[in-house]
Amino acid sequence: MLLALAQWLAQDVRFFSVFNYITLRTVFAAMTALGISFLVGPTMIRKLTAYKIGQSVRSDGPQTHLVKAGTPTMGGALILISIAITTLLWGDLRNHYVWVALFATLGFGVIGWVDDYRKVVHRNPKGLSAKAKMFWQSIVALVIGFYLWNSASLPAHTELIVPFLKFLVFPLPALLFIALTYFVIVGTSNAVNLTDGLDGLAIMPTVLVSGALALFAYVAGNAVFSKYLGIPYIPGAGELAVFCGAIAGAGLAFLWFNAYPAEVFMGDVGALALGAALGTVAVIVRQELVLFIMGGVFVVEAISVMIQVASFKLTGKRVFRMAPLHHHYELKGWKETQVVVRFWIITILLVLLGLATLKLR
Amino acid sequence: MNMGSQMKKRSTQALGETHVSAANVMTTPNANVRFWIITILPVLLGLATLKLR
Repeated sequence: MLLALAQWLAQDVRFFSVFNYITLRTVFAAMTALGISFLVGPTMIRKLTAYKIGQSVRSDGPQTHLVKAGTPTMGGALILISIAITTLLWGDLRNHYVWVALFATLGFGVIGWVDDYRKVVHRNPKGLSAKAKMFWQSIVALVIGFYLWNSASLPAHTELIVPFLKFLVFPLPALLFIALTYFVIVGTSNAVNLTDGLDGLAIMPTVLVSGALALFAYVAGNAVFSKYLGIPYIPGAGELAVFCGAIAGAGLAFLWFNAYPAEVFMGDVGALALGAALGTVAVIVRQELVLFIMGGVFVVEAISVMIQVASFKLTGKRVFRMAPLHHHYELKGWKETQVVVRFWIITILLVLLGLATLKLR
Repeated sequence: MNMGSQMKKRSTQALGETHVSAANVMTTPNANVRFWIITILPVLLGLATLKLR
């Protein structure tokens, strides 16, 4: 909206054409999302507390977590509101990728919201059943997969590129492209949700990865930079940098309230939506494998759960003291804040490795 | 002048803004993270100066 206004004003006052720059709008988007979350956050936390929308804590989890019972949850709604408003303000609304990213974020957000609402308001501990959750996630992800396939106008839009190997490019047929899109979006969404078990653990890696994806989106949307760096040129993808900036800003502001000891949890409404947002951006800018590297913490957390479940079913023995992985380290004696900050540090290293793929190829 | 009145004259409860925050309501991790976030804001502003000139 503001871009359209700036373009209209730029006809008379040349200064306003500065808002055509994606980089500037990305920085402003981050600051706007941050500001909105800071303004709305305290009120929202008070309302959530007043309505007794408190998190229930798993009884078989670490004993140190029992004090967290009753902490307001569904704070992810704050992040989603900030992202949506900011993207609508600073994004180019004629760009279809912006709408795809918003659709993924809000679609998964609604699924998470229904799950949270049933758990904390209806006091139904199961929330949305696993089957129902997977069904609706699949619908949203497949819609995105079909849309991206049908809207692809260049071979680069549907190729799978391999990090570090410039000439290893796999053109994907429709079925494989849609399947890959599905697994990346649904997988990332659930992986972020599994990671969201300690104060600040999920949101900071989300901020870091979205910041890196903003750079990938900007480069992929720029004909000169993408050619120079040897990555697929995706016209229009640069606008996703604004969306990623909004995620980073809203996420940082949320961290203000979510840092240990958390005043609010994001809940499924936030975790599922943010994971889907990252997955969708990675699919559009053709950096699925780089997302796999940068989101290594999410990946390892998800794999730890799979290994634990498979091992217990097959052998009756547990590989980890508790899954997801962060609980394993807690039970080994690490303090919650130590686990969180160390996982952040690992994410920073992985994000740097992901960014290195821009040059090292 | 007793210690109590001396304490009242202090403008902050401890030296260093981080200690003030920690002494008021925030826990150490809370104060740490919030100060990191505050640092990011001027960094963003600084980055904006690349274009806004």
